[in-house]
Amino acid sequence: MLTAFTRAFRTPDLRKKLLFTLGIIALFRLGSVLPTPGVHTENIALCLKDAQAGSSSNIYGMVQLFSGGALLKLSVFALGIMPYITASIILQLLVVVIPRLEALKKEGQAGQSKITQYTRYLTVGLAILQSTAFIALARSGQLFPGCQQDVLLDKDNVFSIVTMVLTMTAGTAVVMWLGEIITDRGVGNGMSILIFTQVIAVFPAELLRIAQTKGYFVFAVVMAVGIAMIALVVMVEQAQRRIPVQYAKRMVGRRMYGGTSTYIPLKVNQAGIIPVIFASSLLYLPQLVTTLFSNTQEEPNAIVQWINQNLVTGDTPVYMATFFLLIVFFTYFYVSITFNPVEVADNMKKYGGFIPGIRPGRPTAEYLSYVLSRLTAPGSLYLGLISMVPIVALALVGASQNFPFGGTSILIMVGVGLDTVKQIESQLQQRNYEGFLK
Amino acid sequence: MTIGISIALILSSMLMILLVLLHKGKGGGLSDLFGGGFSSSFGGSSVVERNLDRLTIITGVVWFVCIIALGLLLKP
Repeated sequence: MLTAFTRAFRTPDLRKKLLFTLGIIALFRLGSVLPTPGVHTENIALCLKDAQAGSSSNIYGMVQLFSGGALLKLSVFALGIMPYITASIILQLLVVVIPRLEALKKEGQAGQSKITQYTRYLTVGLAILQSTAFIALARSGQLFPGCQQDVLLDKDNVFSIVTMVLTMTAGTAVVMWLGEIITDRGVGNGMSILIFTQVIAVFPAELLRIAQTKGYFVFAVVMAVGIAMIALVVMVEQAQRRIPVQYAKRMVGRRMYGGTSTYIPLKVNQAGIIPVIFASSLLYLPQLVTTLFSNTQEEPNAIVQWINQNLVTGDTPVYMATFFLLIVFFTYFYVSITFNPVEVADNMKKYGGFIPGIRPGRPTAEYLSYVLSRLTAPGSLYLGLISMVPIVALALVGASQNFPFGGTSILIMVGVGLDTVKQIESQLQQRNYEGFLK
Repeated sequence: MTIGISIALILSSMLMILLVLLHKGKGGGLSDLFGGGFSSSFGGSSVVERNLDRLTIITGVVWFVCIIALGLLLKP
């Protein structure tokens, strides 16, 4: 592991890429702590302290997690990658619904880049909406319920409010661009690396807080459980079923092709972390709507009351059940989007491949989808159970919603970490012919 | 002074959003987020893209300086 890293730094090309990625990450973190002009930093710090001292679970759990604590500080990158994620989710769902988008998706590379472009436009639109919403919340004092301090310097000046909204929107656009240039010129996938950074960023502080508030015994237990969970997650993420594929020998001209036997790797958790993100983003919507439209003077109506009782905090049975079911549903949904058995079977048939014992064409497709649906069943249950962990922890040790070893953070950390290391390794293998040297 | 920098910040913010949107989106959105697949980075970028990069970086620096200046000016 360590030798791989030293080797990576010895390769000039890869070293440049790694340093570039690190530089962008540093810039990104800088923007996440830099307050938007017009925000009263001291009062925000006071309010944050209050909010953390009261063990009431954080209302903006997921969003706060993805923004690495930047959101409640109202920093320049407060919205972070959340608008981009939301926009991607919306477009993914729309692809299934709108025929024109589906046609674009089938077009391949060109169509895909067009969909990406739409995602980017939608991101900016959502960023304007969300930054306006958060500034409005901060202005009316609802961002920190129960905190009397003014979080904005000059809350009646429309001009300064507009400046703040625009700055935060531009910040979101910059985050999007940073992610893209990491993908382009750095290592790994930019967006996921940025999320990874934000998840890691709150980690030490949260751990320290557990150690300080709950004593070192609980801290040790939490660490042990966390490490065990990481090991478990790594194990399941790596788990795959290999379906053997045999390619027939073919003569093309004077050359002999094929005759090899390979396998199709089907991962247990083919969908990755995306179902969890989908589910929590969806569950976050009703409470966002209620906070936006609720009037402090008026008595809230029955629906708002029900939502406040059941969907805002993560420890009600309704919330847990909905969350679990949504995750299971989205796992199947996402796997069905990303892996098309018919297409794979057709491709295999075209190149003279077959699964031993199964005829090419339709029977192969049926077999693949049968195996896939059986694999996804434990995969989806695993995702659901892992994401229940923070809620259980909430009950046991009274940690906050962004409990450091929460399911989502672990899934993100392990998923992105494994992926990035694999990419670095594959780039290394392009240059160092390890087989010859060792 | 504050008004002037605010206007500069608003303008540079708008320009920044526009410039970022002008870029060609890299990566296929969420689909290759979190271990989706392999990124294909064939070929370099075109001249247009390189100039756009340069322009975006310059605007970004101006935007950043504006934020810091305004933040310092507005410090209570």
